[in-house]
Amino acid sequence: MSVQMESKAFLLEVLGRSAAQKSLSWLQGQMEKLATEPVPAKFFLAFSQASRHFKKEALALSDADKAKAASLVEGFEPAFWNELQAARTVLLLSYPQEKAKWLEVVNQLFETGDMYEQQALYAALPLMPFPEDLLARAIDGCRTNMTLIFDAIALNNPFPPRYFPEANWNQLVLKSIFMQRPLYRIQKLDERRNPALADIASDFAHERWAAGRPVMPELWRLVVPYLNDRFFADLKKVLKSDDQMEVEAGILALYQCQSEAAKQLLQSRSEEVMAIEYGEITWEKLGADFQEKRA
Amino acid sequence: MEMYIDPHIHLVSRTTDDYEAMRKAGIVATIEPAFWLGQPRTEVGSFKDYFSTLVGWERFRASQFGIVHYCTMGLNSKEANNVALAEQVMELLPLYAGKEGVVAIGEIGYDDQTEAEDRFYRLQLELAKDVELPVLIHTPHRDKKKGTTRSMDVADEHGMDPGWVVVDHNNEETVKEVLDRGYWAAFTIYPHTKMGSERMVEIVKQYGPERIIVNSAADWGISDPIAVPKTANLMRKMGIPEEHVRLTTYQNALTVFGLSGQMDENDWLNAAPIDQTKKLGGNSVLRGGQVPRVEGPADRVEN
Repeated sequence: MSVQMESKAFLLEVLGRSAAQKSLSWLQGQMEKLATEPVPAKFFLAFSQASRHFKKEALALSDADKAKAASLVEGFEPAFWNELQAARTVLLLSYPQEKAKWLEVVNQLFETGDMYEQQALYAALPLMPFPEDLLARAIDGCRTNMTLIFDAIALNNPFPPRYFPEANWNQLVLKSIFMQRPLYRIQKLDERRNPALADIASDFAHERWAAGRPVMPELWRLVVPYLNDRFFADLKKVLKSDDQMEVEAGILALYQCQSEAAKQLLQSRSEEVMAIEYGEITWEKLGADFQEKRA
Repeated sequence: MEMYIDPHIHLVSRTTDDYEAMRKAGIVATIEPAFWLGQPRTEVGSFKDYFSTLVGWERFRASQFGIVHYCTMGLNSKEANNVALAEQVMELLPLYAGKEGVVAIGEIGYDDQTEAEDRFYRLQLELAKDVELPVLIHTPHRDKKKGTTRSMDVADEHGMDPGWVVVDHNNEETVKEVLDRGYWAAFTIYPHTKMGSERMVEIVKQYGPERIIVNSAADWGISDPIAVPKTANLMRKMGIPEEHVRLTTYQNALTVFGLSGQMDENDWLNAAPIDQTKKLGGNSVLRGGQVPRVEGPADRVEN
């Protein structure tokens, strides 16, 4: 069985536990119709009208479900999906996967989708066939101003880290900072750090400082592997911030740099260093805290 | 605070100042009928992007001001006269008719009352029946009385339930027949043309509030995006009972467009409080340096 078929079966199973029987019968009916008579107009209507049968309530997943999802597609995190997204993805994976035709209807969906349809489409990218053909679409999607759609691409989605070229990846991360999105939910953020991104992040921080505005704490995660005089000076400045969250981010970045200069600077910060060693200060916690209190 | 619905307003043409004023005046929900843009489109792609804007960016933009945005989908009567293009638009419509927040097929009907207009009006009545949506009829500015009668004759001919059809842009000359035939009668309060608020008050006095709906139809022309609250206040001043004000400026629109299953009072009564900070995007409606408006739960609209 292909990954697509397995993913579809998995989503159906999860939906089967929470959605109403009537909704599931509707979905089953649509799947059968698509299998025997794949007419684009009917497919488009089913994809839209799924909103009449499924709610935007978070999927209920057990730990075993989450593990199963990750084993199907690395980085697939349906815990961040809702029932309507899952149902729409099932429909998407039910349309016969004949390359030219499939891409034509899916591109049509992308171009005409409302906010929630686009959310479903972009989040489902990692489950779709022909990913190389969808790369340009995913990059274009990042140009949106609608947070919901941007999040569907950028957060908890393995597609960008796997397929985005460096320049586009850097734009995605920078736009996440600009839109104050939680960076810790971008997959493989650490692995895909790069010197250009570290420079861009520092430049952005300087712009914020020049305007007298605060800098998102998670930003400093990006400079860690590339500590140089400039970033060192930045982090020294961060340590003088009035905002404890920013200070902790600066200390965490310096701690992770593992450089002698950083270690010296942290000598007077033993309390925070211990908190880091006990896992009390992490990028995830700083990011979540920032979202809750500042964003 | 009073709540109003403006069930006919072309928000793509309006500024953020308008949105601010509308919200302040008590407008909680709006319906944006698909219409023309002041000049005819020449490519089907222009329709596609316009329709996508109605269910996408404009809806998002409205939400940033605490206003719930719905729309209707349809090929307007003016542009129905470019038959080759109209045929392509008809192929596009099923893509949008079933979308969330699409509360009717409209605005459709007659402009010059040509053969082409008649053809696409009828096709769209059938589409409305297929997707089980109400219909919003645009009545012509010229030869209005006959055009209005004809719109209803054809709707009857296609077996439409008048309780699912809103006939728009009525005046003193058309309202009686529309109500007598069981259709909903909408009135556009438009400065200089069509109806003024004072005339509207007289109509509600004479005919009562049943199946009468007030809207602004504000667009790219001279028009007033807060015509509905203004008319409501004038009605109150002129002694019209509060319940009649509520029906004509809120509840009737909700009742008929709610038949779509796509419009629900909970969408605004239980909406998340406005939080513009969540949307500080590159080209969001907030620019650098502006202070976002954040309302706590206490600021939610309650009734």
